[in-house]
Amino acid sequence: MSKLSRRSVLRGSVGLAAIGTIARPFIANAAAKTASVWWTQGFIPEEDASFRAMVAEYEKISGNKIDLSIIPFAPIRQKIVSALTSGDVPDVMSNYNAGLTVVPQNAWNDKLVDLTDVVDTQKSHYHPTALLASQYYNNVTKTRSFYYVPTATFVAPFHIWNSLVEKAGYKMSDAPKTWDAFWDFFKPMQKRLRDKGMRGVYALGLQLTTAGPTDGNALFHHFLIAYGGNRIVTKDGAPHLDDPQVKEAAIKALSYITTAFKEGYVPPGALSWNDADDNNAFHAKQIIVDLDGTISTELALYQKKEDYDDILTLGMPLDNAGQPIASQLAVAGAFVAKGAKNVEVAKDFLKYWIQPAVVNQILKGGLGRALPAMPDLVKNDPFWLDPTDPHHPPTRGRARWSRLCPSIRFSIPDTPRRTPSRFGGLPRPTSSGKG
Amino acid sequence: MANAQVVASHPALATRALSVPSKRKRAWRGGLQRSEFVWAVAFIIPYAAVFLAFVAYPVVYGVWLGHDPALYAELLSEPIYQRTVVNTVLYVVIGVNLKMFGALLLSGLFMRRGWWVKGLLLIFVLPWAMPALPAFISIHWMLNGQWGLLNNFLWNVFGIDGPGWLETSRWLALGAVILSHIWKWMPFWTVILLAGRMAIPQELYEAAEMDGATGLKRFVHVTFPLLTNLYLICTLLSTVFTIGDFNAVYFVSGGGPALSTHVLATLGIRNAFEIARPDLGMAAVMSALPLMIPLVIVLMRKLRTTEVQL
Repeated sequence: MSKLSRRSVLRGSVGLAAIGTIARPFIANAAAKTASVWWTQGFIPEEDASFRAMVAEYEKISGNKIDLSIIPFAPIRQKIVSALTSGDVPDVMSNYNAGLTVVPQNAWNDKLVDLTDVVDTQKSHYHPTALLASQYYNNVTKTRSFYYVPTATFVAPFHIWNSLVEKAGYKMSDAPKTWDAFWDFFKPMQKRLRDKGMRGVYALGLQLTTAGPTDGNALFHHFLIAYGGNRIVTKDGAPHLDDPQVKEAAIKALSYITTAFKEGYVPPGALSWNDADDNNAFHAKQIIVDLDGTISTELALYQKKEDYDDILTLGMPLDNAGQPIASQLAVAGAFVAKGAKNVEVAKDFLKYWIQPAVVNQILKGGLGRALPAMPDLVKNDPFWLDPTDPHHPPTRGRARWSRLCPSIRFSIPDTPRRTPSRFGGLPRPTSSGKG
Repeated sequence: MANAQVVASHPALATRALSVPSKRKRAWRGGLQRSEFVWAVAFIIPYAAVFLAFVAYPVVYGVWLGHDPALYAELLSEPIYQRTVVNTVLYVVIGVNLKMFGALLLSGLFMRRGWWVKGLLLIFVLPWAMPALPAFISIHWMLNGQWGLLNNFLWNVFGIDGPGWLETSRWLALGAVILSHIWKWMPFWTVILLAGRMAIPQELYEAAEMDGATGLKRFVHVTFPLLTNLYLICTLLSTVFTIGDFNAVYFVSGGGPALSTHVLATLGIRNAFEIARPDLGMAAVMSALPLMIPLVIVLMRKLRTTEVQL
């Protein structure tokens, strides 16, 4: 039996450490078929369950392993920024507004993997606007390409408490059809409701916030587009900040929003709302109307049928000239950063994910909070246009697909802007209005 | 070879020749034997590794992230940063001084005898003992303008519609943040100063009483001179801690309304993670170094023992 001495202990410790250093690459190679995926936690549990089910199915079919992390909305943004800064990145990252925030600047700086080969597998199924919104300019290679794989889309509807409208003595059927008049319609309700004892109620849930990252910018862009400022960025990627029409639209947008705030129709706390706070204010019946991302507002009350049915979900009104307003199409998706260890598996997983049948199942499993980026799914699957559900048709109406533009990217200076695109046809704002 | 033969043949020379390098080596090893030195190094290595990995590396990486002078030019041109610097100065100056002065006075109160004093001290220390995040989040919601506890109390009891404490005014929000900070940390410094008071020999007070010094005179001529060093060191420490304070601002006001109550620590986080500019975030945080480093130097100098004259 060998004698255990201080020297032998030291020798052994140093040896183990050395072996660990040498052995690491081989261990990594043995795990070559595993990909790490970061996915944003859904607004409702069904979304997470649906995504997990898809991952399990992929693992069974492919034999690959997915190391899945489901991370809440705010922390995942921080983790993505940290990962991209440090270079220690997972293989796939997915976040609802990454396409508007981190993806543009990192694509610009050539820090992302080109995913054209992934998108090409389903390109014919995608809505052209979704494809447009997933392409970015790489300032290093001087080319435009797909750095984002669209997996879902969002089109913001209006959310309105019908009970509050009726309590104030109004009917939604009397609501004007043009932009300014539609918003103004709710203002007198505030005083009437307060006279009836609802002390903390406000008419408008305008997200004029300095937090975010999404709602404040999205609101401003809605107003900008409504006032004719859609040309702020054109299809060639050129900004038109000196365009008189764009300038006028920007001034009008800022004026309407800030005037409504100064006149007291918006909760003072809106100045610091993050993306969830307007939802919270709406659920607390602090505001009557909210123009916001998805029907997550309604789905959060899915189990409370009375409240779920009380909320009206409306599409866009007409602009002040009576013309249809293009809806912003926000695209949720996934991207792969350079430095990912298993790009091959990452791409394979993404290709599986975006197959129409697969992505449709995920989104339906998530109660349809997010829309498919493929119009045929909406048109052909009765789930999406179920007339018995008061909230689905307004966000998925066939008419809405005919007039869409990509969300204007609002991130950082030096990031490329995407361009809106217009399509023909006259949409009819669908409504599930009661009364 | 010839030299070695000369040394080997002369015992005195040989001993001297061998012992001088040996002494130098022992001095380099801190006077330890070789085997003891090896063990000492072996035990230090884990600490050094952890220190390098979790302290030195992040600090160096952070300094590297924020090293570009262009970042500071960008910061200085931002109105938000300018406002943030003012907020940080106000937060530190008002927060630290009110807190320490209050702690000094309260430490005198808690020197009194009586069971009720001990009970009061226990309750007084609770804010410090409580976890910071739930406490500050609770304060945030209590101050909510629409459905917070404070405004509901004002309405139900006095019929007053309270202001949006954190929503309408930068100064109300900043005041709320400063008060939250003081509420949280004053107990800690009170206990420190209380311990300092307890170390003052009673004979000094008796001697002072014989000379007719009571009440305020006793405080001015006996207590405060003996507490001065401790008070100064605590104030410096508290200043260093408060410059880097993040929790109170982030969880009470969130830097709002409209980014008007940010301090350097919270602005750094905002720049890093909300606008995805980690380099700018580091620069915001590092811009506090010109103030921090002199403070730390002064603090280190004050920690040297000095005499007190009554």
